[in-house]
This record gives sequence, C-alpha cells and structure tokens, in this order.
Amino acid sequence: MTADQTTGIVDPRAVRVVAIDHGGLPSGGPIVLEPAAVLVAPAPRIAGTGALGGIAVPYPPLESAPSGTYGPVLVDGGPLDIQLERHDEIHAVLVERGGGDAVRTPVLTLPLERITGPSLGAVRREVVVDGWSIEVEVESERRASLRERARRGREETAHRGSTEVRAIIPGQVITVSVVPGDAVVAGQQLLVVEAMKMQNELRAPRDGEVSSVAVGTGQTIEVGDLLLVLQ
Amino acid sequence: MSAPFRRVLVANRGEIAVRIIRACHEDGMEAVAIYSDADASARHVRMADVAVRVGPASPTESYLRGDLIIAAALDTGAEAVHPGYGFLAERASFARAVEDAGLVFVGPPPAVIDALGDKLNARRTAREVGVAVVPGTLEPVPVDRPDDVAWILAEAETIGYPLLVKAAAGGGGRGMRRVTSAADLPAALVGGSREAASAFGGGSIYLEREVVPARHIEVQLLGDDAGRVVAIGERDCSIQRRHQKLVEEAPAPGLTDAARRELLDLAVRVATAAGLRNAATAEFLRALDGSFYFLEVNTRLQVEHGVTELVSGLDIVREQLSLAAGRPLTPEALEAAARAAEPASHAIEVRITAEDPARDFSPAPGRVRRWVMPAGPGVRVDSAVEPGERIPPEYDNLVAKIMVHAADREAAIGRLRRALDETEIAGIQTTLPFHRFVARDPSFAAGELSTGWVGERWDGLSAQAEATRVAQLAAGLDALDTGLAIAAEIVGPGPRLAVQASTIPSDSSDGRWASAGRQAATDRRPR
Repeated sequence: MTADQTTGIVDPRAVRVVAIDHGGLPSGGPIVLEPAAVLVAPAPRIAGTGALGGIAVPYPPLESAPSGTYGPVLVDGGPLDIQLERHDEIHAVLVERGGGDAVRTPVLTLPLERITGPSLGAVRREVVVDGWSIEVEVESERRASLRERARRGREETAHRGSTEVRAIIPGQVITVSVVPGDAVVAGQQLLVVEAMKMQNELRAPRDGEVSSVAVGTGQTIEVGDLLLVLQ
Repeated sequence: MSAPFRRVLVANRGEIAVRIIRACHEDGMEAVAIYSDADASARHVRMADVAVRVGPASPTESYLRGDLIIAAALDTGAEAVHPGYGFLAERASFARAVEDAGLVFVGPPPAVIDALGDKLNARRTAREVGVAVVPGTLEPVPVDRPDDVAWILAEAETIGYPLLVKAAAGGGGRGMRRVTSAADLPAALVGGSREAASAFGGGSIYLEREVVPARHIEVQLLGDDAGRVVAIGERDCSIQRRHQKLVEEAPAPGLTDAARRELLDLAVRVATAAGLRNAATAEFLRALDGSFYFLEVNTRLQVEHGVTELVSGLDIVREQLSLAAGRPLTPEALEAAARAAEPASHAIEVRITAEDPARDFSPAPGRVRRWVMPAGPGVRVDSAVEPGERIPPEYDNLVAKIMVHAADREAAIGRLRRALDETEIAGIQTTLPFHRFVARDPSFAAGELSTGWVGERWDGLSAQAEATRVAQLAAGLDALDTGLAIAAEIVGPGPRLAVQASTIPSDSSDGRWASAGRQAATDRRPR
C-alpha cells in the first residue's frame, strides 16, 4: 500500500527504502518515510492534468537540515518518533523514542551509489548496523508510486474500486473544493489544508467520482483521518 | 642470544604470515614471503624482506605447491620454512621434503606429524599411556568388506547412538558424519569414506561416540630435541559452528586448579609418548561430569595460539623458531609451563571471518570498504586485511583475530564488548554481529559453554531482521534530511522529471530550491 492509494497525495519529500540482498533482489518489505509536518510552498503550480498534473513543484530545500527538524516522521503512514543524529559523513546514531528511554543505535552510512537500469533515479547505499552490512535502495516515494500507478493503470483500468483519501498531515481544512457526485480528474484540487501557517493542496490521485466527503471547512484533522472517498 | 636463523621462509598467507614475519623481524631474522597472483599486493608480501610468486590464485597451484616453495626457499637463501597453519602445515611429506632439501622445518618431525595425523594411531597412543579417549573404535572400520557389516553394527551398538563417523586422516570437521540410528550407519560409512578419500587421500574411517553436551578444551604443548615436553596452558574453544571454532579463551572457565593440572598432565603424557618436538596442541572433550576425553593432536601452530601468549607472556612463534634450531626450551618457556596450572589473567579471542552469521555462517567474500580495528589497553588484533582489499574466495575467510587480555574473565568480557563496539567493518559481511552478541550474552558471561552453544543461543535471522529495520529507517531519515527525493526529481534523468525540471524558472524562488537540491545531490554523489 503506497501513500497515493490511501491519501491521494504523496509528499514529494517522501522516500521508499528497500533492503537488497546479496543477489540484488529486495529482501523483506519496503519502508516509506515522510515528514509528518508540512512545509507547503506558496503555491507554484503545474497546470494541466496530464502525467504531471497535480504534482506540486519541489518543496523548499533542506539546506543540511539537522534531523528532527520536522519532528516525528510517518513510517508507513504511522507517526514514529525517530531521529538521525549525524556525527560525520559515515557515523550517525538512530534515536528511537517511544515509551521509556530513547534507544540509540549507532549506524555507519557508506557513501551513496547511483543506480542505473530499472531503478534509475534511486540510490543504493550500504548501512552497517551492529556489524550487519545491509544494502538498501532509497527512492523518491512519488517516483516509485508513479511508476506503480502507471503499471497498475495499464493492468487494471477495467475494474477500479473505491479509493479512500486520508490525511497525511494534521491541520485545518481551509477549503473543500468538491461535493459528492462531482466528477474529478487526476490532479484536480480536492481540498486545501492549512498546517504550520502554510496551505497544502490535496489533489485527486486519479480520475473518478466523489462519492462522499467526510470533512468540512474549518474542521481540524489528524493524520490518518478519512477525508473523502473516490468511486 | 643470537637469532636462531638468518632468514626464514614463511609458507603461508594472511594474518598468520604477518604474525610469523613479525616474530622474525623482532628477533633480527629476515622473512621471505610467498604469494599467489591473488595476493600480489597483500600485506604479508609488503612486510617481508623478499617475496616470491609461486603461482595462480588456486591453492593447489600456489600455497600447496611444496616443490615450488622449497625452490623459493633455496633460491632466496632461507634456512628454515615456517608453514603456519593450514595448507602444508600438517603434511609430513612436505616436512620431509623440506628436510631433504637441507632446510629446517619449523614444526614437529615428519614421523611425529604422520603418527599423530592418523587420528586412530593417536587414539591408540593415548590409550597406551592411560589417557581416556572418546569411546569408539581403535581400528579402521572395514567399509570395503560387506561381510563385516554385522561386526560394525555390533561395535556401533556398543558405542551407542548418536555417534560420529570420522576420517582417520581428517580435521576441521571434514569427512565427519553424525549417525543417530543403525539404519543410517551404512550410508554414513560409505559417504564418510568417500569424502575422506577425496579430502585427505585416505578413506580410512572410524566410529566415535558423540559426547554432548561437551566442552572443547585443548592444551598448548612445546617440546625440544632432548625429549622434554611441557604444557603452556589450556584454551576453551567450545563455541563452534560446524566443528569450526569461533571464540577461544584461556584459561578454560570454571576449571579448578586440580582439574587443570590433571588436563595438562594428560596432554603432556600423550605428546611425550608420541615423541613431540616443537609446538602442537592436544584436544580434549570435557563431559558434564568433568571427565576429559582425548580427541586428537594438531601438530602445528594453532589459529588461537594468541590467547595462550597473552596469558602466559610467552611468544610461541619465537619459541618455535628457537626449538627448530635445535635449542632447548627457553627459560621463559619453562617458567610459563611452571605457571600454567595457576593462570593469573584471562584472554579471549574472537575470529572475525567473512561469513554471514544469519545464513549458517556461509562464506561471504567481497571487497572491504571500511576497516577500523579496535585498540587501547589489553587489545591485540592479528590481521592482514586493509581497506579496499578484496577477500579472495580461494582461501580461508578469517579476516581478523581480535584478542583481549585482562586480569580476570569478567574484565576480559567487558574489554571484548568495548573492543567490538569500536570495530567498524563495511563492504563485507563478517561474524562481528555474532561476537557482539556473545560479548553481551549472560550465559557466556556465566561460563555456560558447550559445543552446542551456537545452535542453542544464536538466532541470526532475527538479529539481522532487526538490524535491517534500523538500516532502512536510518537511510530513510538521511534521505529526508538531505532532500534526496526532491534532489532526485530535479536532477534525475527520468523523462517525466526532465519535463518538470524545465518548468522551474531558474531565477525564481523555486529556482533557488532547485539549485540547492542540485547542490545537495552533487554533494551526496561526488563523481
């Protein structure tokens, strides 16, 4: 389940991390990380509803931002209080808080290697944890989900079910742009959420019809809340 | 005293070649290295005063070519040949050829290697001097005579199941088969015999009771030409996988001084009866009731000799070279032997091998990317590996021996934990995670050691799964912190993204983000 299926939007900063075994194949499931808090650009937009429709332009740069600037992150959609304390290019400590004392695990992060071939644009890197040498592939979650959406689109244009659009950010609903029964196209604005004094547009993940809207203007939403359903 | 030799050829590679070259240099001897094509730039080659290429990477064409090695020794004017361990160390024919060439073999005489290399012969020797051997046959099992099957089955019944089928010429667990019932015996006999024949050139096999739970405890021995044999101390090597040692320590935890004295005496008795010279190690099993059973004698320097050196203060390689020159046991060796039953400190060694401890310690060769070994008080590292080096798949995958030395076992474990925390290895998978686990395990701290310890205590897959999760989170957080996803979209070469990038005006605030992202991407991947 990727972010775009459940929420309709993919934070452009979100990344997908897969562990790779010695044969170069994924071992175990991917983990998707995205910032829980939102930094919304003051609305530069890409017009149109084509392949790029609805894709917000890049978010402000993260000029060597120390980890934890964004507070808790969402890991596979759920908030997790983790932070990477970086000591130098190689040495870092993963700090996990939750419950009692923070768990601090030293990690070695080896330099990134660019990947060519099918995962073009992804990077691979070796991370050493407690003596385990682990190869991971890191990719923009949006790229990964775009690729998957394209594939899915080809595979199952015929039978679509309903798509629940859920909040990936906490905030206040400023505008609801659609009502039940509206036909929408992929990338069309559905609602606007304000968080940290910045507005974030939520756009349709695909073409469809709005079957229900679960929130109203002025309502405060939490991560994971159902916003609306597309048919 | 003057150096025993002027020049010594070291017929080995890796950490043990480095170890021997160090001993040579400390005593003012020159060292001649040999190397295969895989090792042309290896550390032992650079450390040696002279180095001779012996052949391609394959051991049978290089480090096992006794004829070429002897020729190299003669060509370079070496007077002695130290075989290290493995390769030709326990081949009597090589030792004999070295002597026939007018050189000195640093190790026991060929006749002793032969006599003790035949495990059945060693068992009989032990039996003759009243040392208990693991219950089993003392003669080869006649696998080639079908009419003797009834006899074999009767013998097996007497020994009791489960039992082990072992190769008389064996070692390192090769040719060994575990048999749990009479029905499985014939297949194990045939299979074991065939494996023994191909691995050791002799298909002779015997039966031995499987002593479990048991501890593996061995005794370091030295002998001189006058026939004097002494024990320098014992080592516990119970933590093994597939009959290969992972952790060794000296002294053996939990032995009373009386039990230790008894063990050292048993070892000296067997070695004296066998006419031991130079250095060797007698291996025993210790059953739960405390009784010792003789297993075998290894007629060479052991991988784990370092822990005995740390506790005894004796340089065993130096002693080997001195003994090989025909000198008597040194006063230092005699003093160490006199103190052996009452050790005053504790040493632990862990073997860092290029193996995957999540997958039954299967070999994992590769190229070392990062290599930081521990240091500080009471830490000794024997290794020949350097960053950037390829661990060749052709040879033993031992990459480092990390040893710690402290006043007692508890302090030694604390020091081991600290040393392993300092250790950083990347690029290859090693046994480091396993050893970190050992150093923190309460049953290890309690000295509850047995040859089944690894199977009972270690769950490599779970440990690796947890580490994988942490690695994914760390890599993901790092990517979030550095804006990897955004940078990838801006500079990424995907066709769609190229379109997107072109829509960003370079002079807008968006452009600043783009250039910052691009800069971040370039910084992360300098090429």
